[in-house]
Amino acid sequence: MEKEITRRDVLKLAAATGGSLLFAIFLDGCASSLEETATLPAITPTVQTPFEWEPNLYVRLDHQGSLTVMAFRSEMGQGIRTALAMLVADELDVEWNSVKIEQAPADSRYGNQLTGGSQSVSSYYDTMRQAGAAIRQMLVSAAANAWSVDPAQCRTEAGFVIHPDGTQKSAYGNLIEAASKLEVPRKAQWKERSQFQIIGTSRGHWDAPFIATGKAIYGLDVRLPGMLFATMMRCPVFGGKLVSYDDSAALAVPGVRQVVQIGHKIAVAAENSWAAIRGRNALTVQWDEGRNSSLDSEAMLANEVNDLPAIGSRPNLLQAVYVMPYEAHATMEPMNCTVYAHDDFCEVWAPTQTPQEVQASVASVMGISQKNVTVNVTLIGGGFGRRLQVDYAVEAAQVAQAVGAPVQVLWTRDDDLQHDFYQDYAVHYVNVPLGEVVRPRISTRRGPGSVPTGAWRSVDNFPEAYARECFIDEMAASLNRDPLDVRLELYSDRAANVIKLAAEKAGWGTDLPSGWGRGLAYHATFGVTHVAHVAEVSVKEDGTIRVERVVCAVDCGRVVNPDNVAAQMEGGIAFGLTAALKAQVTIKNGRVEQANFDDYPLLRIDEMPKVEVYIVESDERPSGIGEMGVPPIAPAVANAVFAATGKRVRHIPIRPQDLTG
Amino acid sequence: MSVFELQINAQTYTVDADESMPLLWVLRDLLGLTGTKFGCGKGLCGSCAVLVNDEAERSCTMPVSEAAGKSITTIEGLSEDASHPVQVAWVEERVSQCGYCQPGQIMNAVALLKKNPNPSDDDISKAMGDTLCRCGTYQRIRAAIHRAAQEV
Repeated sequence: MEKEITRRDVLKLAAATGGSLLFAIFLDGCASSLEETATLPAITPTVQTPFEWEPNLYVRLDHQGSLTVMAFRSEMGQGIRTALAMLVADELDVEWNSVKIEQAPADSRYGNQLTGGSQSVSSYYDTMRQAGAAIRQMLVSAAANAWSVDPAQCRTEAGFVIHPDGTQKSAYGNLIEAASKLEVPRKAQWKERSQFQIIGTSRGHWDAPFIATGKAIYGLDVRLPGMLFATMMRCPVFGGKLVSYDDSAALAVPGVRQVVQIGHKIAVAAENSWAAIRGRNALTVQWDEGRNSSLDSEAMLANEVNDLPAIGSRPNLLQAVYVMPYEAHATMEPMNCTVYAHDDFCEVWAPTQTPQEVQASVASVMGISQKNVTVNVTLIGGGFGRRLQVDYAVEAAQVAQAVGAPVQVLWTRDDDLQHDFYQDYAVHYVNVPLGEVVRPRISTRRGPGSVPTGAWRSVDNFPEAYARECFIDEMAASLNRDPLDVRLELYSDRAANVIKLAAEKAGWGTDLPSGWGRGLAYHATFGVTHVAHVAEVSVKEDGTIRVERVVCAVDCGRVVNPDNVAAQMEGGIAFGLTAALKAQVTIKNGRVEQANFDDYPLLRIDEMPKVEVYIVESDERPSGIGEMGVPPIAPAVANAVFAATGKRVRHIPIRPQDLTG
Repeated sequence: MSVFELQINAQTYTVDADESMPLLWVLRDLLGLTGTKFGCGKGLCGSCAVLVNDEAERSCTMPVSEAAGKSITTIEGLSEDASHPVQVAWVEERVSQCGYCQPGQIMNAVALLKKNPNPSDDDISKAMGDTLCRCGTYQRIRAAIHRAAQEV
């Protein structure tokens, strides 16, 4: 029946009710093929249900007993949609294959929906389990009432309440109406760890089949009737101002509909993305580049280093300076946002890590009430902190208002790399009293406010870990001691445990081929998840560095989806290796010099080391995994390069020319 | 503007487009086949890969005029239900994280396996080297290609 609903009908409906269109888009794209297949979980209710029960914000059960979990945090590959649903499904005792997930729009009832800091599982581990356990308890009570038996004698299994006699059973779907009339328990009995059937087992990502068939909907995949596609021209110098522009050539490009000025930016709206890109390229613009037009990142970093105490100036200290450059997020899906503004309403489809901030900012810039702004959250083609910013959503709302049609604003790759909120540069001055084994003292200098900066996967932990963990190796070398032994003197408990585990699994101290080296580093990102990496590298005569193998030990407390922990460690290592060995953002004449993947080169498949991940069995509270694999990899590689070559490199990216001559 | 006849996923489509328009935008904006992704616009990342006469091609740099008359397969054309051996392997090996580049990865892998049903690690590195994944799913991409090779 849903198949007969057209997008236009749903749009009218959504416009009238302020309801979510994302749901309709999923439905339109997926329902026809997914209903018949057993391997794919269907993602829309297949028939009009006579009764659906929404006992709390997170869960909906239909008359077939089918569980839908509302994901209220954003999915960008870290696996949060799956993890939240696993927590509910296990406590509720339903089969994992029957679970559906829907993405919640911006909604203050969910509390703060910001997805960042690797905190979604640790913050909602209890809440989601309790949501499942409470409903299970109510379903059991409903069945026990019907059977006139003691609820404590009933049990549940795979969507059924089982009678104390062990043979009669009642499907959840048949119990929801009776259960819905019961009081929601304040604190339901939840499972002991030994009773878990889903939590702690590897489930992959729920979205995987949709991704593998091209049906998953990212921000750029949103399609609305009558929509336009727009690109933006922005001043290449940060903070520059628009003086004048000539749009006659742009308007002559076939398919270009309108050119509108949005503050100091110019939007070209067209019938398709290609026309919008060509139209933008045909603009002639005069900028006032302003006071940032002479910014030069190389000079800025040199000045920072010049202001520090000279190395060797204090003979009683072991000193070093580590320099980390600006970095870009370079998400594979560039920034984009789709907006339909009409009357006093605004509907937004955004790949965002912070839907409520989008809602507030869009309402503010459009001068309408927040309750008239609906923010639908799409899947996100890479976040890494970039999508904690709302710039791309606010400007899309402004463009939609100006052109008077639904519009998708697309950032091209150069837009994305040159108008990022960068990982700030960091210059660390580190020292310890000569001859001592103590935690290094670190003082840090960051960039000026003229360059936009923001959170980047693991934020300050990345440069801090580089400075500290490289310096610990320098300290060990100055004492002629094994870096592993020195670390075990500095670190204890869970930290020492992962260090020892990684070293043991990597065969620390065993022989390697000539030209190879092994390096160790440890870091607890945000002070909560303990990760140690041992990197094995080979260095050729010409300085070519190859990371051959990385052994990772991680203690993140209780684990929800173990294979996803391994995946996040693999991914964090790859993300960190791009910065450690390949890419950096430089600024010259106030402009970012990099424009695409030829000059901001990402790690490639042939450069990916063999990664082995060992997860510490733990009963501590879950503590997050999305960012934690990143910080220790760069120092582990630098330490391995030192072991292989005797050369200490105190900056990134480490390049062949740093190791030759 | 010119009219082009395109053979996509065994169906014939007629589009009215500027002859310089890359196939990517024809697929995504004119035909609503959004499984093929925009990543770089310059053939540098491979997110937009499709099969053209069984070869992996970057649809972001292939003008529609060049694609006309050839047999085009997009991610939507592999299977409706993720049952193509490469899709099965991708799900089984739990490859995807954010997933955005994966349609391009899968199409590149399909093209590789058509030419070389049992690729070595080196063959995979060569064929997949210019197909980028910021999430770093490469180890699993490699494993999935080996798995699919046993099934194809």
